[in-house]
Amino acid sequence: MKRLALLGALCAATTAQAAQDTGALVRFVTCPVYRDTDAGRKSGCWLADDRDTGQRWDVTESPYKPDWNFAVLVEGRPSANAAQPCGSPALDPVRTSRLDIPCTRHMIPAEGFPGRRYTLPRRNIGPLSVARPVPPGPYVARTFPVYFEFDKDFLVYQYDDWLIDNAVTWIRAARPKKLVVTGYAATAPETVSGVKLAERPEVAKERAETIAETMRRLVPGLAVETKWKTAAKPTDDPEADGLPWQSQRRAEIRAVF
Amino acid sequence: MHLLPQKSFVVPLAALILAVSGGARGGETPDRWWAPGEGRVLPAALDYANENGTLRTLTVGGPLDTAGHPFFEPLGKDGRACVTCHQPADAMSLSAASAQRQWDRTDGKDPLFAAYDGSNCPTLPQDKRESHSLLLDRGLIRIERPWPTKSFNGKPVKPDFTIEVVRDPNGCNSGPQYGPQAGKISVYRRPRPVANMKYLLAVGFPFDPKQGYALPLDPDDGKPQSGNLMADNRAGNLRIQMEDAANTHLQMLKALTAAQRQQLQDFELRVFTAMQVTNGGGAVDSGGAKAGPARLRDSEPGALGSIGEPVWSEFKGWEKMPADEAAMLTPEQLAFRQSVARGARVFREKMFLITDTAGINSRIGFGNPVRNSCVFCHNMSQMGNDVAPGQVDLGTTTLPFADPWQDLPLFRVTCTGRPHPHYGKVIYTYDPGFGLTSGKCADVGKITLQSMRGLSARAPYFSNGLAKDLRGVVDYYERRYSIGYSEQEKQDLVNLMSAL
Ligand code: HEC
Ligand code: HEC
Repeated sequence: MKRLALLGALCAATTAQAAQDTGALVRFVTCPVYRDTDAGRKSGCWLADDRDTGQRWDVTESPYKPDWNFAVLVEGRPSANAAQPCGSPALDPVRTSRLDIPCTRHMIPAEGFPGRRYTLPRRNIGPLSVARPVPPGPYVARTFPVYFEFDKDFLVYQYDDWLIDNAVTWIRAARPKKLVVTGYAATAPETVSGVKLAERPEVAKERAETIAETMRRLVPGLAVETKWKTAAKPTDDPEADGLPWQSQRRAEIRAVF
Repeated sequence: MHLLPQKSFVVPLAALILAVSGGARGGETPDRWWAPGEGRVLPAALDYANENGTLRTLTVGGPLDTAGHPFFEPLGKDGRACVTCHQPADAMSLSAASAQRQWDRTDGKDPLFAAYDGSNCPTLPQDKRESHSLLLDRGLIRIERPWPTKSFNGKPVKPDFTIEVVRDPNGCNSGPQYGPQAGKISVYRRPRPVANMKYLLAVGFPFDPKQGYALPLDPDDGKPQSGNLMADNRAGNLRIQMEDAANTHLQMLKALTAAQRQQLQDFELRVFTAMQVTNGGGAVDSGGAKAGPARLRDSEPGALGSIGEPVWSEFKGWEKMPADEAAMLTPEQLAFRQSVARGARVFREKMFLITDTAGINSRIGFGNPVRNSCVFCHNMSQMGNDVAPGQVDLGTTTLPFADPWQDLPLFRVTCTGRPHPHYGKVIYTYDPGFGLTSGKCADVGKITLQSMRGLSARAPYFSNGLAKDLRGVVDYYERRYSIGYSEQEKQDLVNLMSAL
């Protein structure tokens, strides 16, 4: 109940669509379990038990996956797909942030479950040798968000690289006067599974600087300013996959003309 | 024994003239060893035998007159040239066997054994063999790195770790002149091959997913850098690398001139080397196989095997050879070819759990553990290096994964900020690798993946010579990741690697 109330508050600012999904959102902290399935490369399963409900979830689809030596913050929504290739119902979309809380590493056998054959995620970039199509205008001020793991400023592979690649393709065509990169941190403390969680205020600045440095390398010569803000609020950007907490942990690249 | 089909052995005339077989204990003319300043002509194709077959080195636009060429002339006070440590017979690297041979032939007087970095430490008596044991036994050159790290990619850096010396068996990490207190750290590394360079410089994607940034830009031409040079990636381009080499290995007092830099770079980009003929199965570009140096020379570099030409699919033709071709081979030759082809599949398809390996299991998001194969890290078509900048901590230089060795220095690294994702706060290492360049504790132990070509000519393997032969490489991976290879799979991998 408490969790639902908290979720409601968090999502107050989001669209009707996101708000409608709110009831289904799941968030907890736990030690991950690796299920050693083998359907080829990257086919192992990640499982996570919500201690409050006793429910074991398949959290494998997170763009940043767990480390079996550390606790994870799980955030997600039950998948529309009822298949259970890892032996538990799946969260999808889902995020699993590595926390600095040590865990006893635990691996269980496949027990007959197939795992998932790896497929290239939708958010993947082509090699540099493949030309990006020039995106259509209008070329007016526009904001491109990128998203992070809890309390980290690390650019997420096959997520942020794709978001940035798209942004850069547009920026190269649009030729704005400058970029303003604003880093956000979700600093308001919340208690999840008995663990008090808040992002460090500094991570807002770290995110701004990390993304600014990347933009300087990708569009050299274009002026890049940085700003940072704490107490981030959720947004309804679809690239946060309807997960309000993910949408808070972001940086925004704003192209200014 | 049957002869292989004749076409397997067709080699260019230039190569035939210089093709000299094994033995090589003196008496060989011209000498297998390229000494500085000889003024020999480097033919367009040059073959050298080794225990697994014949390595071929191609020089595009060759032959090259090496007289006066900065790669071949002694430029500094030690009488060494670049070629001293980057020998054509050794796939443009240097095998420990060659170092031993030079020691025996010259009674230790060859400039290779210069005190500065061709001995365990300049403070040791230089006429003693044991003072050069790391070079002679494991092919290691002393590399001196400044401490603390001051900058990385042109940005100031304050390391987030401290370093202490636990053990200094050679004297080059303690005393008034050496060691972290004196502002330097000595590590010992294998020379990396100076060939097939376009692949090491190729840029596949705009990001370095292991560091979480877009690729850094080359200070000289403003283009993204591949990040695939040097064990610790301290040089982002060939210019920076050659200046480092001239100052250290050559003890060159003057700076390289612009003309010399141009000649060096031009040469480095023209050399291709790989195995051409295997003892077990004949030419690697016959019977449907498409390996060998010519193909390396002629192909586009930088392709990711998983979305293009699968890594080592050069040998697909040997999986199932046409009956008429197979009939021309002995059963042993046929079996060897099939083993190489299986090895290529084992390399790509035999899955295992990769664990606690920074650069893969952290911070990139693949998870720890992640199931994959050799090709996960060695992913570039035809080269087997990493398309993304290849700084990965395989554990070759860091405890508990490295083998226990008494003759290497051991450092204790203490992370002052966030602990290392897998080792925790304190790390024991023989070589912090990329950590010495980036100044990040999370990068301690990461070593840039090398290419996998010409392996037969340049044992031992890994940056610190941990694996004395190709079987040693497979055994290390088996120990490191408990893979569970069958004896057959191990042999197939060894045969594959011997044919690259
Ligand atoms: C005393 C032996 C020695 C000499 C002489 C020498 N090198 Fe090297 N070279 C090395 C070693 C050892 C490495 C690997 C260093 C490392 O990884 O930190 C290396 C690495 C390289 C690399 C990087 C290759 C790669 O794949 O990362 C290049 C390029 C290179 N050397 C070029 C040169 C040039 C040019 C010269 C002459 C100016 C030269 N070397 C002289 C020992 C030597
Ligand atoms: C987790 C990434 C990873 C995987 C998986 C991996 N390697 Fe490596 N490999 C590396 C790194 C990093 C190095 C460089 C380490 C060093 O030099 O100390 C390396 C070096 C090598 C070398 C040495 C090359 C030289 O010039 O000395 C060989 C050979 C090799 N690997 C073969 C294999 C084989 C065979 C497999 C599968 C059993 C494999 N690798 C799996 C990361 C990997």
